[in-house]
Amino acid sequence: MKQATVNSFLSRSIFALAVTFVALVFPARGAGVSRGFNRLLDAVVRIDVREVAFEAGTKRLSAGIGSGVILSKDGLILTNAHVVSPRAIEISVTLANLERVGAKLVGWDHWTDLAVIRLDADELKRRNLKFAHGEFGDSDKLFLGQTVYAVGTPHGLTRTVSRGIISNNRRYFQDERAVNGYETGAFNTWLQTDAAINPGNSGGPLVDEDGRVVGINARGYIGADNLGFAIPSNIAKRVLEGLVRDGAITRSYIGVVPGALQDLESFYALSLNTGVLINSVDPGSPAARSGLRGGDILLAIDGEKVDGRFREQLPPIQNTIASRAVGSEIKLTVKRGAETRDFTVVTERLESRVGEEWALEKWGLSVRKVSRTFARENQLQSADGVVVIGTQPGYPAEVSGLKRGDIILRANQQTIDSLEVIKAVHEKFSEQPEPVLVEVQRNRQISLFVIKP
Amino acid sequence: MMSLLRFALLASFLASAALAADVPALWRERLQSVVAVEFYAETEAERRTGISYGTVIDEQGTIVLPPVAVNPRLTPSQLKDFKVYRPGEPESTPAEYLGQDPLTGWHFVRAGEAVRKQLVPITRWASRTPREPALAEDLWGIGLRNKDEDFFPYILKSHVALVQSLPQRTAILQQEVAGPGLPAFDMEGNFAGLGLSSFGQNYVQFSNEARGGRPVILVNVEESGALLTAGEVLPYLKRVPQNVFGRPLAWLGAYALEPIDREAARFLKLGNQSAAVISEVTAGSPAEAGGLKDRDIILAIDGQTLPRFRPDGAVVQFVGREVLRRRPGDLIRFTVLRGSERAEVEIRLGEQPKLLLEAERQYFDRLGLTAREFVYDDAVMRRADPSQLTGVVAHFVKPNGSAAIAGLGTDDWIKEIDGEEIRSFAAAKFKLAAIEADRTRGECVLLVSRGGDTAVLRVKLQ
Repeated sequence: MKQATVNSFLSRSIFALAVTFVALVFPARGAGVSRGFNRLLDAVVRIDVREVAFEAGTKRLSAGIGSGVILSKDGLILTNAHVVSPRAIEISVTLANLERVGAKLVGWDHWTDLAVIRLDADELKRRNLKFAHGEFGDSDKLFLGQTVYAVGTPHGLTRTVSRGIISNNRRYFQDERAVNGYETGAFNTWLQTDAAINPGNSGGPLVDEDGRVVGINARGYIGADNLGFAIPSNIAKRVLEGLVRDGAITRSYIGVVPGALQDLESFYALSLNTGVLINSVDPGSPAARSGLRGGDILLAIDGEKVDGRFREQLPPIQNTIASRAVGSEIKLTVKRGAETRDFTVVTERLESRVGEEWALEKWGLSVRKVSRTFARENQLQSADGVVVIGTQPGYPAEVSGLKRGDIILRANQQTIDSLEVIKAVHEKFSEQPEPVLVEVQRNRQISLFVIKP
Repeated sequence: MMSLLRFALLASFLASAALAADVPALWRERLQSVVAVEFYAETEAERRTGISYGTVIDEQGTIVLPPVAVNPRLTPSQLKDFKVYRPGEPESTPAEYLGQDPLTGWHFVRAGEAVRKQLVPITRWASRTPREPALAEDLWGIGLRNKDEDFFPYILKSHVALVQSLPQRTAILQQEVAGPGLPAFDMEGNFAGLGLSSFGQNYVQFSNEARGGRPVILVNVEESGALLTAGEVLPYLKRVPQNVFGRPLAWLGAYALEPIDREAARFLKLGNQSAAVISEVTAGSPAEAGGLKDRDIILAIDGQTLPRFRPDGAVVQFVGREVLRRRPGDLIRFTVLRGSERAEVEIRLGEQPKLLLEAERQYFDRLGLTAREFVYDDAVMRRADPSQLTGVVAHFVKPNGSAAIAGLGTDDWIKEIDGEEIRSFAAAKFKLAAIEADRTRGECVLLVSRGGDTAVLRVKLQ
């Protein structure tokens, strides 16, 4: 629906490309490229990833290429969440000196499309490999028109530098499934640049003339000329720290969907630059339980005034709520009609709509756990069940009549409240094949199917 | 001896006359039982002609039209200017729309006095004991050409290939035998059945551009090879609706009945019978009051095991018809499988709450919006609490109209107008009319719900 043409730039094919590295000469101002810039070039890596996919009723491996930048002496690399995710089973990093080293995932955060991997320290030591590391610049200080460079591996072309300017430093882009089916962009705005960004640039740095990392390149418009987007370094820095510390970024959720107030101030009798429109409140969410509803105007969060006149202003406001500790109380000052009153909301842990996935291979069935968010979105009665994400033709699940999108609620009368329940039933079937009765919800219809050996 | 011979000759002559009945003569006579019906369907956006074929059922000029004759989204008040044409006659006679019978789905129309004496009810051609068409039996039926050819009648003929319960006894012929809604007869001229809407047929389409063939389903909408047998037609001809909505209407309140397939039936050890699972029991319904539960599997009605149908799906209609053939206030007893237990549930059927078709509606031209009263089924479809019917539904949103430009879509649920909660259709009507009447007004604001989410829409009125 929105900006469907924005694509994440991860090249999905392995190129066996002989790359000849040519000394790059930049027609930059003055004497040319700074020492910092050269140092940065030595910190940019190519990342080859093999990952497992569960879609087609079986586990399948796929491969992709992306970029990354080393940001510490001990080999921490920042890249995109759509380059390296928990599905990665093999990560191979090509350093600037063309040496290849293995790496492990430290953590990922699809909301900001960032992931952190760490080079294999033993291997580095054993092979005595050297590398440089980059440094962050301050993305808040970027100005429109400022020259920036994108460094990465577009289409497998290792260590490619392209040059452009900051086209916009507060671009709004939110998508429900842009990071391999996961949500992104609700809590940050993006840098926009006209430096050429192509598939494979993903995860590589956007740097200033001194070689400081001011952003992580993530996406661009397919078919447009040089409309590329990067995560600002000030956000990337925080996420890097969080992922190194905890392995994940925990956020709070209350269930309000904000909207820009633009043009509606007079209707709500508000002075300009005051308040955020609450467009929707997720059913059953903490905000709904505390009595908030669509059409309310949020004026302040814990007494702190908010201004959501334009949609670019919404991600920081969402981030204010998301940054609170899970389970903490938030006081929301809300205007409804002529009345203004406070609502106290206790936050929950933010969950993705995408639950954990698995392939039940004897049945030729791929499933994904129904998450609380998925259940709310689809108005399900509970978060029980697994969603069918794929079947293999001719295998028992497909033969029984199961289809992609079905929600399996029960198997042999057992409620599937976790992935383990259906894994156990499948396990038993694998050992001793006997028919399994599954209760399935398709749209709102309940059907019974029998998975037979 | 001579007289004996003469008798034998006469007898053989009579016998051969009976065998080779004069079908064209029978056909000419039976044309008096068929008509074409024309009407207008008037919606916010357009006025469209509807044409259907019908069969005369009584001396009062009552005519039945097949269920597909009228788009189910249209209300009776949108159907106008019914006219009846006799086959091959360019002149029409006005007719009155009587409504739809919920059980058979037939629409009933009554022809004006002027034409009645030229019409003959189909019952005239029914044998006293209608028999089911036999396999391979030849049947013939009536087809009508289009209006530009004065609905000129013609004859179709085929043989019975199969008789199935779907769940009604349905004869499927080798090829088309009658127009949908028009009768077919046996070779003696006895009424054999009424043409259903045609089943699609599979073909492979070849083209010069694309390599290989492409499977397509073609449906002949003017002729049909499927008949509702006389035994499924004659007993129901008395169901002339008492009002356009076909009330009284029995109500159970079981949402989304789904058939149990063969494998599941075998797993549940149900034997050679059909069964259907109730996806949801709707709130406040007789089913809920009587104790039916979500996921109950219906095995029997009033002690009668559900017969086995092929395809499995026919059981859904079978159960639906068992409810609809009863009246509000009647008792119906279900034997259900609940988990691994069998249970008997007795339910006193209620009267259907206000239907979507009965919901009030009004078009607002400046907004480009038809607001419709929010009724019970609206709440069920939106998983809302049906005991609180508030707000209105955007029944029609004019393309490129003010409401459409603001992002309003068909079937959106309007909950607030200008910040005020809408508690009834009357309140919405009042509010929207006031907005439209105020020429100085530049905009209004709607809070709408779609799929559980809400959004605030700003409608510019200029």
